[in-house]
Amino acid sequence: MNPSFKFILALIISIEISLKSSLLTNLLIIFFALIYLIYKHIKLSNLFLTLFMPLIAAFTVFATLYWFSSQPSLQNALSLSSRIYVYTLTIYCVSISTTATELARSFEQYFHLPSKFAYGVLAALNIVPRMSEAVKQIRTAGMMRGVYLSFWSPVLYFKAILVALNSAENLAQGMASHGYRENAKRSVIAAVPVKKSDWLQSIAILVLVNLALLTLK
Amino acid sequence: MPVKAEIKPAEPAMDNASEGKTKDFTSSGYYPDDFLVTKLIKLNNLTFSYDKQNQILTNINLNIPTKQFSLLVGPTGCGKSTLLKILAKLYPEFAGQLSGTVTLGGLKAAMMFQNASEQFTMATPREEIIFALENLCLNKAQYLKQLNEAVQFTQIDYLLDQKINTLSGGEQQRVALAVLIAMNVDLFLFDEPFASCDPAARKFLIAKLAHLRDQGKTIILSDHVLAGYEGICDNLFQFQGKRLVQLSQAEQEKLLRKNTDSNSYTFVLPKENDRSCFTLQNVQIRQNRLLLKQEHLNIVSGKTTLITGANGVGKTSLFNALTKMIPYSGSITYHNREINKLSTRKYLLHVGQIFQTASDQFINVSVADEINLSKKKRTNSYFTDDKIAAALSSLELDSLLDHVVYSLSGGQQKKLQILLMLISDQDVLLIDEPLSGLDADSAVKVMSLLRESQKARKQTLLIISHELKNLADWCDYHLIFKDQHLTYTNK
Repeated sequence: MNPSFKFILALIISIEISLKSSLLTNLLIIFFALIYLIYKHIKLSNLFLTLFMPLIAAFTVFATLYWFSSQPSLQNALSLSSRIYVYTLTIYCVSISTTATELARSFEQYFHLPSKFAYGVLAALNIVPRMSEAVKQIRTAGMMRGVYLSFWSPVLYFKAILVALNSAENLAQGMASHGYRENAKRSVIAAVPVKKSDWLQSIAILVLVNLALLTLK
Repeated sequence: MPVKAEIKPAEPAMDNASEGKTKDFTSSGYYPDDFLVTKLIKLNNLTFSYDKQNQILTNINLNIPTKQFSLLVGPTGCGKSTLLKILAKLYPEFAGQLSGTVTLGGLKAAMMFQNASEQFTMATPREEIIFALENLCLNKAQYLKQLNEAVQFTQIDYLLDQKINTLSGGEQQRVALAVLIAMNVDLFLFDEPFASCDPAARKFLIAKLAHLRDQGKTIILSDHVLAGYEGICDNLFQFQGKRLVQLSQAEQEKLLRKNTDSNSYTFVLPKENDRSCFTLQNVQIRQNRLLLKQEHLNIVSGKTTLITGANGVGKTSLFNALTKMIPYSGSITYHNREINKLSTRKYLLHVGQIFQTASDQFINVSVADEINLSKKKRTNSYFTDDKIAAALSSLELDSLLDHVVYSLSGGQQKKLQILLMLISDQDVLLIDEPLSGLDADSAVKVMSLLRESQKARKQTLLIISHELKNLADWCDYHLIFKDQHLTYTNK
């Protein structure tokens, strides 16, 4: 499916389930999202992490509504806490099958996201592995000069920011040197297509979710 | 107060052709007549400064013929990169103030940076080429044609879909060249494009650039190493003090011939009973692919060993493994102790690495701060305050003490970096391309600093370099890195 469609679909589903409370719908979405993730061969460790991390938030919500509320309702507590899983899992489904490049390019092509923003973010993302390497290198460089930079040392981050600023400056020049001009017209070589099936699938999923929301408790 | 920049936009080729013909009759006398039909890149009264106090370029008047191969030489920090960035129209848009005019004769220009890794927006070479060609509003058919040409020209087909940040320095330079070729610009600007290339890759790429020139492209290139340009370079421009002059044909040939590296070198082989500093046993180093698979190797203590090998073979990764920045399998011992079991903090006070990119070494802001930090931490008696002051003035860094280290030129950063690591107390220094970005004069000074320190303190030096000319008569041993193996050689 087209990355923009996936993203917007996940957004609409998230908004709808926020407005209408339906525990069964939430559970169904969670179930299908998990099936999809397993079908996409996610690593077992990632799966456990995805299920564990939201637990903290979900448990807090559950505890507040069930144990500490003046009118405790199991249905309500479960419904609200399961929403957190819906949010994380649907977004995980989007991210597992989409790269940042595809998403940014798709937004640029169909939603007129300013190219400056799209490529700025992409370039920044490409710097991230370089930054983590840089941090490691800074610590090594420090140790070689008898300066130990701990992970909470301001010097480490000051230097990391300097490296980032320097990269940002060079990156802007690098983009310009490869012909990029702000607000200039660009052609599309690697198109991210929107297929008929994208429309059909999105509409089908939305209809099913809405039916479930209306009929199920 | 300099007038704010005025670079004329590229005009349609027709206008410029006529302009070139009429105006060139009045241009300075030393061009032979046949240049009258050649369009010129013209710099008129060009003055450029990054800040108010220091002008980096002053009143440059220059005509550079198009469709030729021009070489720009001069000492470190003289303004070569700045001039190239002005020609690429990056300055003054991104930094500095400019007065005077620059006309490119209607040519489309693109530039390859000194540090190629900082020039990429996208993750892979293919995506980067798509990005660049979309900027130029090309369609898919044109893209496929240009991509094919660029890939064949630079032979990077095996790199196209690899992540750029996993490529070696030399490979990144080759990819950067491919992007420019795919963009099909008329004027190619290169800032020390071969600084991390091995001699074979360098020769290959210079021949390729000559080929581009023969296709009608204009090449302007800055370099410190002058080997390999004889018979290829058409014009040589040299910074002499603040002036930029074109050498006569005879002077040019003399300079290029002097630097042609045709000597052969001899080294001795280490003896069995030499005391070893590092011992490698069944070591494997991987970075995406297998780089090193070594059954046994001794690095001799207290000596200087040169390591050479093609781009991307894994030389820097070997150093990174030795300073525990990347993992290895098997056993690497430092004076018979496994380095993985040593405390990193203590180990790195004995074994230091001088990084390929100088700015990676800095941990402070100004030159003076860096020097003071090194002074404070040193325990050796070799680098006295006087000696440091003398070294600073010999390396021409003494006037730059209040500068921010990142604002120094590439060569100045390199000189400072090497000095800082020498002041530090390490017994072992792993030096990654110490001479890249240095002019001949600076290279000699840096070499003699390294040499004296090594001699007096009996340090073990491991040096990665492609510049045999400067290092061969000094280094004791020579290791060749090839086919995932390090082998001592006597050549």
